[in-house]
Amino acid sequence: MGFLNGSVSFVRFTVVGDLPENPLEYIGRRISAYSFRDIDESTEEYSIGWVSVANMFDASFSYASYQVGDYVVLTLRIDERKVPAAVIKKMVAKEEMRMCQERQLPKLGRAARAEIKESVIRTISAKTVPVPAVYDVCWSLTDATVLFFTTNKKAHALLEDFFKDCFGLLLSQQIPYTLAERLLEDDHLENLPLLKPQLFI
Amino acid sequence: MDLVDLIAEKRFLGQEFLTWLWWKSEERGGSVELPDSGDILVEFEKHMLLEYGEEEYEERLICSGLQSELKEARTGLQTGKKIEQARVRLVKGDHEYHVTLGATLMDFRSVRLPKTAEGSASNESGREESEGLILERIFLCEEVMKVIDDLFRLFVTVRTSDQWGHELNTIRQWVAGISNEG
Repeated sequence: MGFLNGSVSFVRFTVVGDLPENPLEYIGRRISAYSFRDIDESTEEYSIGWVSVANMFDASFSYASYQVGDYVVLTLRIDERKVPAAVIKKMVAKEEMRMCQERQLPKLGRAARAEIKESVIRTISAKTVPVPAVYDVCWSLTDATVLFFTTNKKAHALLEDFFKDCFGLLLSQQIPYTLAERLLEDDHLENLPLLKPQLFI
Repeated sequence: MDLVDLIAEKRFLGQEFLTWLWWKSEERGGSVELPDSGDILVEFEKHMLLEYGEEEYEERLICSGLQSELKEARTGLQTGKKIEQARVRLVKGDHEYHVTLGATLMDFRSVRLPKTAEGSASNESGREESEGLILERIFLCEEVMKVIDDLFRLFVTVRTSDQWGHELNTIRQWVAGISNEG
């Protein structure tokens, strides 16, 4: 579910690390370098990058700027060519059978079978349309906090890696304990590590 | 301690928060006073997920239903189950939010934000999402986060204070007595 429509689901990250001088200029440069590259017309299996929240086809941010007030608002787009394993298995078996008949052989050698499998994957991948996934990101520069609009844990790990590659900054997910560290006054904070689970019965 | 260990070892904090919040919401008929914002309305809704035990011995209990009074969830609390997820309705001023809060990661799921004049107009006309709409959505997300943070701050402040023993006794009495109310 996108950030701009309907109900939203999100988790929070703290941005760890310092931005260089002229942060907006730096962020702009890095977003350009890591913007999404379309693979519809190629045979590449995977592509990940930034696009505009307003339009998943807009990797140059001509429909909407990524900078809104003190926030950087982006969409992380991931396209992947996914060929079901059962399809690969079927097509490999079919090609092996055809080759055996053509060469009048009872069985193919290991090298020939490996070559067939590689060729089948290449051919089917090229015919497969990449499956897109989009996740909205809202980065508050004032609070050094990122809202990530999905609860998919695999996507969280992808964002953490991609954010680090792109901006050179680490993301640390906010959980109740770390949130308590941020919210508590000093005299209460020292008791926090000492807490033990309590029963309510 | 790295984050994975911290999540596992300290997940009780979020679970206790949700139990405390349920008690707190019923203590004054749904009204909870926040230091900066005054009274807000907190109401537990039709969905709750409870857990008992760890890892392979873990049991999960999902309670839901349109007219549900969460009787099973209440009974679950009496058998020592912990709240892992709860659907909560929050009303602050003119703004009404519905959110499913996760205890372990404090994640916000299926958050229904208030309808606003600008948001409705934009959807009806189908025009490009404006900067104003983006800022408005950010504002609403931040408002609901701030309400939850303020509630959580109330909880962890008392949880790390000398008053906790007294508050815990009151919550235990509430847990023990809630089956009679339903």
